[in-house]
Amino acid sequence: MAGPCPLVEDSCSRLPSQSNVYGLAALPGAGGLLAATLKGKVLHFRYQHLRHKLRPVARELQFTYIPVDAEIVSIGCFQKSAPKRGLVVGITFIKDSGDKPSPFLNIYCDYEPGCEFDLDSVAQSCLNLELRFTPLQLCHAEVHIGDRCDTVFLLSGTDPGIHLYRENEGLHQFEEQPLHELFPELQELPSSALWLDVCTVPSSRRRLTAVGCQSGYVRVAHVDQDTRAVLQSWSIQQDGPISTVLLFPLEEPDDDGDVAGGHRGADDVGPSAPGPEPTPHYSLLVASTIEMSVVYRDVLSRGLTEQLSLPGSDHHDAVLCAMLACTALDGGREVLLGTYGQELLCYAYRGRRCGFQLLWTRRFPGPVLALCGADLTGDGLREVAVGCLQGLHVLQHSLEPTAQRLKERLRREVARRAQQRGGEGTGTPK
Amino acid sequence: MYCVLADFFWRITFSTSSSDESRKPKSAVLSACVKWVLLIFFLDLLYCFKLLTFVVLLILTVQLNELVVGDTNGKLYVYKNDDSKPWTVRSCQGMLTCVGVGDVCNKGKNLAVAVSAEGWFHLFDLTSPSKHPDASGHHELAEEQKPVFKQHIPANTKVMLISDIDGDGKCELVVGYTDRVVRAFRWEDLSENSDHVCGQLILLKKWLLEGQVDSLSVNPGPDGLPEMMVSQPGCGYAILLCTWDSEQQPTIEGRDRSSPSREAPLRDVILHQTSGRIHNKNVSTHLIGSIGRGCSSVGNGSGLFALCTLDGTLKLMEGADKLLWSVQVDHQLFALEKLDVTGNGHEEVIACAWDGQTYIIDHNRTVARFQADENVSAFCAGLYACKQGSNSPCLVYVSFSQKIYIYWDVQLERMESTNLLKILESDPEFGSLLQELGVEKSDASSIQDLIYKTLYFPEKLQPNSPLQCQNPAGTNSSAHHTVIQNPLQDS
Repeated sequence: MAGPCPLVEDSCSRLPSQSNVYGLAALPGAGGLLAATLKGKVLHFRYQHLRHKLRPVARELQFTYIPVDAEIVSIGCFQKSAPKRGLVVGITFIKDSGDKPSPFLNIYCDYEPGCEFDLDSVAQSCLNLELRFTPLQLCHAEVHIGDRCDTVFLLSGTDPGIHLYRENEGLHQFEEQPLHELFPELQELPSSALWLDVCTVPSSRRRLTAVGCQSGYVRVAHVDQDTRAVLQSWSIQQDGPISTVLLFPLEEPDDDGDVAGGHRGADDVGPSAPGPEPTPHYSLLVASTIEMSVVYRDVLSRGLTEQLSLPGSDHHDAVLCAMLACTALDGGREVLLGTYGQELLCYAYRGRRCGFQLLWTRRFPGPVLALCGADLTGDGLREVAVGCLQGLHVLQHSLEPTAQRLKERLRREVARRAQQRGGEGTGTPK
Repeated sequence: MYCVLADFFWRITFSTSSSDESRKPKSAVLSACVKWVLLIFFLDLLYCFKLLTFVVLLILTVQLNELVVGDTNGKLYVYKNDDSKPWTVRSCQGMLTCVGVGDVCNKGKNLAVAVSAEGWFHLFDLTSPSKHPDASGHHELAEEQKPVFKQHIPANTKVMLISDIDGDGKCELVVGYTDRVVRAFRWEDLSENSDHVCGQLILLKKWLLEGQVDSLSVNPGPDGLPEMMVSQPGCGYAILLCTWDSEQQPTIEGRDRSSPSREAPLRDVILHQTSGRIHNKNVSTHLIGSIGRGCSSVGNGSGLFALCTLDGTLKLMEGADKLLWSVQVDHQLFALEKLDVTGNGHEEVIACAWDGQTYIIDHNRTVARFQADENVSAFCAGLYACKQGSNSPCLVYVSFSQKIYIYWDVQLERMESTNLLKILESDPEFGSLLQELGVEKSDASSIQDLIYKTLYFPEKLQPNSPLQCQNPAGTNSSAHHTVIQNPLQDS
């Protein structure tokens, strides 16, 4: 049923100790990846250009103020919003000196001009915050305050709740700020949030926030970025802990012919319509540790009513991570799921009648804990980084067939333009 | 930093226990005649910690390769495809130290050769159809199959090579001994009937070396003719000259021991110490010659050969004086093989350490590593028909727990990491396409952007392209880029 994986493994770096589901973060741009391991070590993986060659390099980054007996829980990383820029890395860890484990959040950020992007100097400038709860996922989101943009850390904890850390302009340092002002939709969660996903709706001033909890509670909220008013909110209770939630635009395949979401007239023109991007049909993937993973289609207009299942996603132990990718390069999007059962599963959406179908699977030598998509090799193609228990694997598109496909599409494009020029010349519209 | 290759090898496990009562009757028939030896691996007895030793090799038939394994109890196991039970088992006399497959008799037919430490030379014809009865009762008889030929040669054998070493187009049998002696034999056929094996081994020559011989190999010399090469301790090697053509016709064993041979080793053995750092003079060294370098340089003089030592030195050399690369690792390398894992015609050097660490190194010194799960007592690499009825590159590990692990279909797309830009850099068609699309060839970020949009958003390229025609590429496209990139970004 499932075909072969179109990706090939380019490199694999062994981790000094095991990692976890919150242990992988992509650096902005072509900066590479940060992989945090349990025993306090952080690995910086990237492709180095050396004398016309490309070489995978994984080196240990020395982040300051991480004690030897610390166990890293999560790592997060972002680039400050314009116009400030600069790299911010956050690491949560638990220091267990014997009597009482004490959790900390370290935020690394360099204010020295010229050093804002130098990882080594960023790793040396640390703000150490003691936490009163056990930290879980550390993610970041962009907030709009007036006409200014700011990126903040969102840290979920076992208290249970979400904590917000934002840079204080005057003091040049991060501090915890009340959540209800900026993220009112994340208040009053019934249990610890295992995964949080925030996504800005393009060409609008609105955002979607999804959160999956340990109790199986899932909440999605549609929020106005300016007034921070919760426009819509949906919630559902599933069985078993929710390992991952993922918001993504899901477009109907062309052959389906059924354009959903009738309230948006722009859809009728189709994807090739010029002008501003139509609001995509946002869907929500909910990966469960004990149940089959599901996608709630077109959340904005249907809420959490239309459920599509990912068949077979419960056959390989718990699903631990998910990612959106285009491995088939056919213009469609696929959902990748990493499972504790050492399998990476790829699902493609085949329209409302057929739903999601398993496209391919690939086996790994250990449980697949984290997935991350980024252009690591700097060629415009996005590699898939797969964080396993003991190693970081980088999957790349098979290059020769991709090169053929690219040339074929460019040839078609050149021919189309020539035809268009010819059409304009004779004055006959196409 | 090297990369570790960990998961692209599928593995099957063979049990070498021959006392399994539930063995199914074998009905397989060897269809093709065996043509030539592909790879031979010998376990070095000096480093064998357990009594049970395995000697492994792969045979290439016209269609499908088998795996032949010999052990210290004198059993010869032949495995086919992914069946974890041996296809056939033969018994030999003594402790097997050398196993090989080749056209020893020069009859155009491969025979399995097994030589024991005690000097018993056995020939087996595995293609004979009568030896594979399909009734299970007869199978026990088949297991006791006697060799088609048996002869005693000098004892203390260690390694063996079946190859044409003097360039006459006929195979010789070369045996290395634990007493630093190498002997070359030739099969003298006494029968008129080509089907029946009847004849004897005649000693051609005996070479006496200064150090232990761990590997025998043949490598093309500067004139393109094969040269017999043996490894010498301390990352050295020696070329053995085949002088029997100029001398009188084959000598008998007794004559060889007589006085004229006393001075012969001085003339017939050319010792080479490879340059570079000072080596431990006594460290065990392996070598492999005739490493394939694609069809481009066939007959271009000296062949490529590789050397490895137990203290972790790996070298690739071309001829006696040209070092192509040298690699130092912290693992005890005890086996050296060659295998084309990328399918480009260039054979990669494969070195295996006792702890299972395996290095795959190409001619440009790009290293891929692989860690086998267990300590390894014997290793070989080659083409074996493990699955799907076709030969694929395989790595074969014999563990100390009486298991053979075969990693099959060990194929890499390439050894070096690269990206699409580098692949297309030298493509003239891509260059002209870029020109037609108005993208500067030197503008890497615009090309990157074009690749991104063309491959991930094929339907979106069209409506935007008229704008692209008017605007210089990059300004307009990058603005669009940020919008459409969002769906793929992780928050």
